Amino acid sequence: MKYFHSLLSLTCLVSILLSACDSESPVTVESTPVFATSEFSGGETTVFDASSHAFSIPAPNLSPAAFEKHLEGDVEFEAVFVTAPAVVNPGLGPIYNNVSCINCHSRDGRGRPPDSDEGLVSLLFRLSLPKTEDSIDGKPPIPVPGFGTQLNNRAIVDADPEGKVKIDYTEQTLTTADGTRVHLRYPNYTVTETYQPLPEDVEVSPRVAPAVFGLGLLEAIPEDVILAYADEADADGDGISGKPNYVWDVVAQRYTLGRFGWKANQPTLLQQVAAAYNDDMGITTSLFRTENSAGQSQLTEHSAMPEVSDEILDVVTFYVQTLAVPARRNIDDPQVKQGEQLFAEAQCASCHIPTLRTGVLAGVPSVSNQTIHPYTDLLLHDMGPELADNRPDFHANGREWRTPPLWGIGLVKRVNGHTNFLHDGRARDLMEAILWHGGEAEASRQAVEQMSKAERDALIVFLESL
Amino acid sequence: MKLYKVWTLFDAACKSKFAIGLCCLLLASTFVVGCGSDDETDEHDDHDHGEVFDASTMLNNFANTVVLATYTDLDNKAGELLSAVKALAADTSQGNLEKAQQAWKATRTPWEQSESFLFGPVDTQGLDPALDSWPVDHVNLQSVLDSGDDLTVDFVSGLEDTQKGFHTIEFLLFRDGNQRKASDITDRELEYLVSTTENLKTSTSQLRLAWAPEGENFSSAVAQAGTGSVIYPSQSSAVQEMVNGMIVIADEVANGKISDPYNESDTTLVESQFSFNSISDFQDNIRGIQNVYMGKFMTDGQGLNEFVNSHDPDLDARFQQEVQAAIDAIGAIPDPFRDSITANRGAVQAAIDAVSKVQQTLEQDILTLVQSSEFN
Repeated sequence: MKYFHSLLSLTCLVSILLSACDSESPVTVESTPVFATSEFSGGETTVFDASSHAFSIPAPNLSPAAFEKHLEGDVEFEAVFVTAPAVVNPGLGPIYNNVSCINCHSRDGRGRPPDSDEGLVSLLFRLSLPKTEDSIDGKPPIPVPGFGTQLNNRAIVDADPEGKVKIDYTEQTLTTADGTRVHLRYPNYTVTETYQPLPEDVEVSPRVAPAVFGLGLLEAIPEDVILAYADEADADGDGISGKPNYVWDVVAQRYTLGRFGWKANQPTLLQQVAAAYNDDMGITTSLFRTENSAGQSQLTEHSAMPEVSDEILDVVTFYVQTLAVPARRNIDDPQVKQGEQLFAEAQCASCHIPTLRTGVLAGVPSVSNQTIHPYTDLLLHDMGPELADNRPDFHANGREWRTPPLWGIGLVKRVNGHTNFLHDGRARDLMEAILWHGGEAEASRQAVEQMSKAERDALIVFLESL
Repeated sequence: MKLYKVWTLFDAACKSKFAIGLCCLLLASTFVVGCGSDDETDEHDDHDHGEVFDASTMLNNFANTVVLATYTDLDNKAGELLSAVKALAADTSQGNLEKAQQAWKATRTPWEQSESFLFGPVDTQGLDPALDSWPVDHVNLQSVLDSGDDLTVDFVSGLEDTQKGFHTIEFLLFRDGNQRKASDITDRELEYLVSTTENLKTSTSQLRLAWAPEGENFSSAVAQAGTGSVIYPSQSSAVQEMVNGMIVIADEVANGKISDPYNESDTTLVESQFSFNSISDFQDNIRGIQNVYMGKFMTDGQGLNEFVNSHDPDLDARFQQEVQAAIDAIGAIPDPFRDSITANRGAVQAAIDAVSKVQQTLEQDILTLVQSSEFN
């Protein structure tokens, strides 16, 4: 390969390697809705890195100024907050789930439920009171007095955590058509050690920290593209609906399409980031000026000034908008191709849409007008009673979840050291995650159960190539 | 991670999709053989050129002679620090304080060197924040010291990472960098010091065991890359991990640890500011790069240098020289670093430039070479 140094300029050489190497096929971006046929999962934001840094790399098509802004956001994303007053990064808490963005979104990747001997690190619990009338009224969840809408299980020394959560798993065995036994673990969550009593009828919903790369691309998908996949009444009779969530946009001061979060309850990355500062770290911003502990005995003093400036909010938002998507690997492997075919045949691709085209995201040209392979429709789907959290969130009912993107899923083991999937990490590998699918995905799960072992292996190898 | 400044450089040259596509077509038509270095299924039989590099010896050496040996040294040094802290608690003499301070610095050395491979269990088990969180939460720490809580190991272990680990111990042992008087250390501080150092030792043991054959044996996941490793299905992905680790710390030292306090002229941003150990910290970071590249810690083995040398001896020689130059340039900054960010700006800038050069060569030459090479 060294001979190439003399044939091509260095920059060109490296851009070849970054863009096209690791595969024998040149760029083939255009594709059918069912097959991606390209390793460029993030369009021109794709990076070719198969190390544990695969989720942490800036989009390669950033301008120098945008790149600098990304790096500023990177520093803030890693910033560890402490109890005020302090010289560096004050404002933590008094109650919170974690002390920095990176501590939950480790290596910009995916969180997991705690091991038996650990506390909660990258899994949190949303709380709410049940709605008396129509549970899907399009309104936000009702806060629990004294707790709000999220259990903050940690606190500064002079305050008390709102409570802890005890997690118990019960194993159940599922047998596929060819007699293979798969063990699924059913979680049971008990809120314990609360600083004051919780109402009996509290709704509790677990949420694991999702990976944060490629999010600008998802934000750049035009609303009409997403709505084109919606089929709320299942007019085409395929058993799969797809429902948009409409959620409160605090900047626009109106209901807009929800895109982010496990139930698509955040409309923009700016609001997602600000909400995470507020709900997860107890840090106020101009979007959420009220401490998450407001109204509680925990809150002793409150600054009128946001604890994180608009400038920081802006660069952190930009950071998650411009993290690159890792390229697929082994796309020409026959087993991978077979798995991709099976993925389509089982109708997985009806919700996990392989190919979408982004529009224009203001201020972020690198994610604009890209052909991407996220494997999501960003819509809500009924996933059946076993995955249900029974906690409505705007238009999402207690059985509905947003289709999560699958890009990068094959690298989670390398980046985050685990293969825990689904909204609470109950699945311990990809096959378990598939077999948890119910509701609208019932037929798809059954199709996988009917597959031979070789076919299921191919399906997994395909997913691992993402 | 502040990775890959170089990415944007490529972008400047190959901005349009057309340009990239053209490059790719060129590549595909003239150099089919060289691609597929990310061949995760380890199928290489169809490649017919002779420059396949078997990285198994190098990876095995990296995992054991470098990483595991560094973590073993860290764990041993943490044990010595614990003994020194216990001796200080038993007899709070100035001599015992100075011994504990020296033991802290000695423990810091392998830790800083290990920052050239911050991946695997140190990250996935949350050990990096447990050991090295910054800043210290002074308000929380003081609240605990002022409380009536029994400062047992269990109690302190349950506190936030920002009131445990290296920098909390550093604060208790050194305070503000001036001569700390043993007689100023309170009994509560001594109790806290012993418990938090016990907790540090637990973390360093966990880290060592995570890599050790008698523990979780992450070493084998690296050493067996491409031959059964569940983490690294190809040798190239593991070699890329090695190089990325070096890039990350070079970037961190050049553009974070040295530049941030220097650009802002802000001493509160300086690493290891209580002990005035900053310059040693930075040098050890670059020595960590040297260790990975040369394949050595206490003993020498096959490193990346042999691989680079086999392809490009000039690059190998230049990089070795650049790494040493960076260590020397950092060492040329007058102590303490926190004064030099204002008083000796030329020396600080020279160190930034020297480390940036290391980063640049890693990104533009060595990573490129690795990504374009065929591994077994």
